[in-house]
Amino acid sequence: MTLVWTLGVCLLAVVASFPLTRALGRHAGWPLAAVYLAGVAAFWPAATRVLDGEVVTWSVPWVPELGLEVSLRADGLGLVFTMIALVIGAVVLAYSTAYLSPGRNLSFYLFMAFFTLAMVGLVLADDLILLFLCWELTSLASFLLIARSGHAGEAASMRTLLVTFLGGLTLLAAVVVMVAATGTTGLQEALAHPVWDEQPALTTGVALLVLLSAFTKSAQFPFHVWLPDAMAAATPVSAYLHAAAVVKAGIFLLMRFSPAFHDVPVWNVTLITVGLLTCALGGWFALQKTDLKKLMAYSTVSQLGLIVAAIGVGTEYALAAAVLHVIAHALFKSGLFMMVGVVDHATGTRDVRRLPELRSAMPLMFWTTVLGAASMAGVPPMLGFVSKEKVFTGLLETPGPAWTGWVVLVAAAAASVLTFAYCAKIVLHGFVDGRGQERWPEDQPLHATPPALGVFAALPILVGLPLALVVAVLDVPLDRAVAAALPHVEPETHLALWHGVNAELVASLLIIAVGVGVIVRRHRLLPALERDTFSRDGAGVIAALVAPVARAGMRLALLVRADSPTRHVAPVLVVLSAVLGGGSLGLLLTGRLADQHPGLDRWSDGVAFVVILLGAAGVAISQSRLAATVSLSAVGVGITVQIFALGGPDVGLTQLLVEALTILMIMLVLQKLPLRFGRSPRLGQRAALTLAVVTGLSAGLGAFALTGRRERSDIADYYLTQGPEITHGYNVVNTILVEFRALDTLGELTVLGMAGVAMVAILSTVRDRFLDPPAEHDPSHLPQPDIALREPGSAAHRAIHQAWGNAVPMQLLVRLTAPLLLVISLILFWRGHNSPGGGFIAALVGSTVVALVYLSSARDQAVGPARLPVLLIGGGVAVAILTGLWGLVAEGSFLAPISGDVGPLYLTSALLFDLGVYAAVLGLVMEAFNLLGATGGRERTRERADESVEGELTGPMDSARGETPAELADRDTALARAHAAGVPEGPDPQHKGRVGRRTTYLAHGTPPGNVADPEEDR
Amino acid sequence: MIIAASVAVLVTGGVYLLLQRSMVRVIFGLALLSHAANLILLLAGVSAWRGEPLPDRVDPAVATDPLPHAFVLTAIVIAFAVTVLMLGMAVIGHNDDTKRMPATGEERAT
Repeated sequence: MTLVWTLGVCLLAVVASFPLTRALGRHAGWPLAAVYLAGVAAFWPAATRVLDGEVVTWSVPWVPELGLEVSLRADGLGLVFTMIALVIGAVVLAYSTAYLSPGRNLSFYLFMAFFTLAMVGLVLADDLILLFLCWELTSLASFLLIARSGHAGEAASMRTLLVTFLGGLTLLAAVVVMVAATGTTGLQEALAHPVWDEQPALTTGVALLVLLSAFTKSAQFPFHVWLPDAMAAATPVSAYLHAAAVVKAGIFLLMRFSPAFHDVPVWNVTLITVGLLTCALGGWFALQKTDLKKLMAYSTVSQLGLIVAAIGVGTEYALAAAVLHVIAHALFKSGLFMMVGVVDHATGTRDVRRLPELRSAMPLMFWTTVLGAASMAGVPPMLGFVSKEKVFTGLLETPGPAWTGWVVLVAAAAASVLTFAYCAKIVLHGFVDGRGQERWPEDQPLHATPPALGVFAALPILVGLPLALVVAVLDVPLDRAVAAALPHVEPETHLALWHGVNAELVASLLIIAVGVGVIVRRHRLLPALERDTFSRDGAGVIAALVAPVARAGMRLALLVRADSPTRHVAPVLVVLSAVLGGGSLGLLLTGRLADQHPGLDRWSDGVAFVVILLGAAGVAISQSRLAATVSLSAVGVGITVQIFALGGPDVGLTQLLVEALTILMIMLVLQKLPLRFGRSPRLGQRAALTLAVVTGLSAGLGAFALTGRRERSDIADYYLTQGPEITHGYNVVNTILVEFRALDTLGELTVLGMAGVAMVAILSTVRDRFLDPPAEHDPSHLPQPDIALREPGSAAHRAIHQAWGNAVPMQLLVRLTAPLLLVISLILFWRGHNSPGGGFIAALVGSTVVALVYLSSARDQAVGPARLPVLLIGGGVAVAILTGLWGLVAEGSFLAPISGDVGPLYLTSALLFDLGVYAAVLGLVMEAFNLLGATGGRERTRERADESVEGELTGPMDSARGETPAELADRDTALARAHAAGVPEGPDPQHKGRVGRRTTYLAHGTPPGNVADPEEDR
Repeated sequence: MIIAASVAVLVTGGVYLLLQRSMVRVIFGLALLSHAANLILLLAGVSAWRGEPLPDRVDPAVATDPLPHAFVLTAIVIAFAVTVLMLGMAVIGHNDDTKRMPATGEERAT
């Protein structure tokens, strides 16, 4: 259970980030770091058992039909990587409290916590499917973390997403093949399966897929491009993602799959070659960079290459070395990244060509950086020295003839010279040489480093120092990790700072000697290297690869991209008529249909048909909008008659009421539109008519051929005979709606509610002046007719110019009918279970009260409180879902009705469900009347839409992306400030007409309130 | 099969209106089409039995199939919600031409 608790604590961090950031702003990092440490504490019992040589597992069935389980397993690897993720995470969060700009920073903390959850889930997963899911979640989380850092991060995050999701696809393929080949989704069983020894071709294929996935995540050549690119993210993000978490996920994957693939030749060869190549390339690129953060990024690439090469060797010793280097790298690299953040914070730049001499100004930071860089360069007595020595020893064990080991070692040592050189560059160019000293303004002081910033940046580096001296404490964890990666061996690691004189030590000394040579000649050598080897960087390559795909996609989209609905609809209709009409005709002509059931027609159908025919013709022909509306209502009446004739009292009532409300709403809309429809070109009309007739005939033919040719269905008999016994309700249609098929109704209810919400959402993206244009731009505007009237004050004048007199009869009528309708509505609601009625019909009757109140008002005003409709919709859906959950808890099935006798009454929870239906329908109708009916008297459409979310406002909000009034006020303040600072008014011509959240940012360079990265503030 | 003829009429009118320029006519067309769809659903229950599905008052032997009725009731309400939403779209800018985008002050993405 401790594993579940660990994950639970990580989940808690995700959830807690919402209230914590709200309450504490950027200082939410403190409690969140504490939560991470609590996660370590929760994991501790499992950790001690793992160290004792046990394996902790936990599982629960997930999809039993497929044999899927959520199973967790802590072994040595899981232990090491969990600890790195949580401990480094806690340090980074504490550092962020001082690094981030003041403000809520929700997205930072939320995504960080989400990331940690995904990472811990990944390293503890013992199921291939779960492993894959967590893998994808880490990709997603790193994308989000990079994408949140403003414009600079947008393109970078997309590239990260492309590369890492490519790896996700290969991992998915690998997982699918593994499950198919081994017949289990259990990770350990799959890895231990004999199939890997029996089928070398299959093994090679899967090994390639797995290592491709790991390469994308761990930034191995040629997938390394995303990592330096992702430096656009805030420094704490880089420190965590690129030192402790996401890139380590790839390393973890390689180690996790080592049991099956460590002796597969393609695995060894690819990992070692690509690893060393990446190591050398990364080191070379790092040396060329002048931006310290970019330099760090390439150094990460380089270090990961070394680790990958060690994993590729696949022996016990090499894997132990890889694990140790992972630990060492996590410590020094996270610290160094945060150090870069400290330098950036103090000086405002990370470019070594512009940095002043910092050693005397920040001695503590300087010496810490020296220690971190020494560890990375492999200088004794740092942890990095021990781990690098061990890696070198491991590389000597490269499979194959003896000379391969030496070749690999020499290559790694050569790459490490580059490592040493760029470490020297970080320290000397960053702090000592002061290449920007002359250009540094005399009067510009360095920003003081807040204690939290310096302390937590130094912490991981300083921890590495004593650890190197007592490195033997890592023996046991390393043994456990190696045992997890190579189950058949019993590793015995003996770590020590001093191994005696051997090849590795000689290599290290040589590296240091060459490195010192570089240091001595650095003033000439290093600046000369500061140019890119290739004219095109990784981002350019990805762009060049993506561009043709995007162009091809655009060309495909052109086929279906059109504003005119006709071009979308016509092809569908043509195909539909061909299939339906042609098919039905074929069936009828070949005589393969059963005979029609006798007695299908009644004379009442004929009456309905005539009404429908006349009505439909009227709608189609009339050019007057009003006439078309009246014709439409005639069709509705015809349909209602038809439904009643078919024996559907509930449906008929619903149809009638819906028809009435629809017509009322159309009338509200018509007052804002021209009196007549515009004319269309004659040619188009003829084509439309032809298509219409063909489709209509096909539909009629289909209806004739495919219905009425069977006996009554069994399900109908079941509902009619068993339904009343099961539900205690005699209105079978109603019991189907609220009990048998309540889930359908819940879906329908949600659609209903969403229509109301969507209407508000869409209308509040259009600015007031475009939604209800002023009269001179309004095509529907009619000037006041010039009628010869008697003088003002006379009855005739009042009758034309003042509305209240005309509304009086209506108001009197409402006084009488509204209570009556409410009573009828209640009765209909109550009796729905046994007689025609129910939630829908009752709500529609209730809605007519809304309509009447609206119509009887002399002045245009909203019905009810402004926010009531949205609350009704939300409340209705919530009530329905809660009823469903009640059923789930009490009866074990979602939406199962709970019923019983309460005194003389038989009550059922379906009634409660119906109440939800009632509320949602009422909410939609109110919302529709308020929005569609706004005529621009006192309130216009936009104001109504805003008010239904925000409550009463004094006028429409001037925004186009649903900002809150508080955000708008902030924007106005920022604009005023920009104006006071002399920024020219009006939007930047380049971004003219762009609207939305970032408008002021584009126009004036004033960042939105929640930008976290300090770089953007400067 | 008179109802099948009604379906043919409704679909003819609906499709004709669907291909027009005015958003309001498109909405009317969809209303006719949804009527047609509802009738087809009801026909699926075989119109030879037309008793109300209330077993305490009508003999279940002559009662109609209640399942299509439940479907149609749901469909009517959904069609209503969709109609309302589209009506809201139709009046943006007091202009319901479907071949020209209403002006909203935003530049269109290219």
